[in-house]
Amino acid sequence: MRTLWVLLAYRLPREPSTPRSALWRKLRRLGAGQVGDGLAALPLDARNREKLEWLAEEVVEAGGEASIWLGELASAAQERELASRMAQLVAADYRTLIADAKAALEERGGQRRRTLGRLRRELRRIRARDYFPPPERELAQQELEGLAEVVEEPVA
Amino acid sequence: MRWATRRHCHIDRAACAWLIRRFLDPEPEFVFVDDADEVPADATPFDMRGAELSHHGGDCSFETFLRRYELADPVLWEIAKVVHEADLADERYDAPEAPGVDVLLRGLSMVRDDEELLALTGPLFDGLYEYRKRALLTGREPA
Repeated sequence: MRTLWVLLAYRLPREPSTPRSALWRKLRRLGAGQVGDGLAALPLDARNREKLEWLAEEVVEAGGEASIWLGELASAAQERELASRMAQLVAADYRTLIADAKAALEERGGQRRRTLGRLRRELRRIRARDYFPPPERELAQQELEGLAEVVEEPVA
Repeated sequence: MRWATRRHCHIDRAACAWLIRRFLDPEPEFVFVDDADEVPADATPFDMRGAELSHHGGDCSFETFLRRYELADPVLWEIAKVVHEADLADERYDAPEAPGVDVLLRGLSMVRDDEELLALTGPLFDGLYEYRKRALLTGREPA
């Protein structure tokens, strides 16, 4: 079945560059796929639609133009290609997390527990923007479970 | 007064509705719409694109209400942190309650319509207000 998408079409002035980079960071945090210059897509649901609508509002407030579209890709191959690009971005984030979890095995008790807490929050953030889960998702989960097993209970 | 907002309320709209009833308008009438074009002429829209009482400059609508109506009550700003993080999760504030509140409201919105959701979340925000007030007064988390 074809994915339904919500798309943000936007145009922002080149200068100042702050709103551009802020928008880019926010789209990245939402896990949006960049379809072209000034066009970003997320799988359609109420939450994603609302998030993009607020971003559209911010673009307008920053002196740009923005509109929200609902749509589907006419070609299944292009949809796979977009999904796979989005999956590659989160896969890289999972791999960073896996490396951090491995490194934490060498840390001392208290530090290791704090790292575990930080990495658990990070995993939640990545999963929230993971719409086409790559194999790394399961590996990251396992790596954190392994780290949790060697973290001793805090002394009350 | 009549107030209009989008259908399928979540945390920000539920919190704004509570704020309206408790601090701005004791007998509000809420209208839920699908599109900005459906807002009745005599209603004040909130938490909708294009509305004044909405997201602005990184603020969620609840924060915008506090600024526009100059509600300086520090307890309300404590609640604003929770609402902001539950709605936007951009880590502007440290609000560990937020992910829990987000899940509870999302779940509730799956089994109740908007009218009922606002009726049920009213006492929840009353309680949150009381808790945060006591915490501010005593300087520690109340038991």
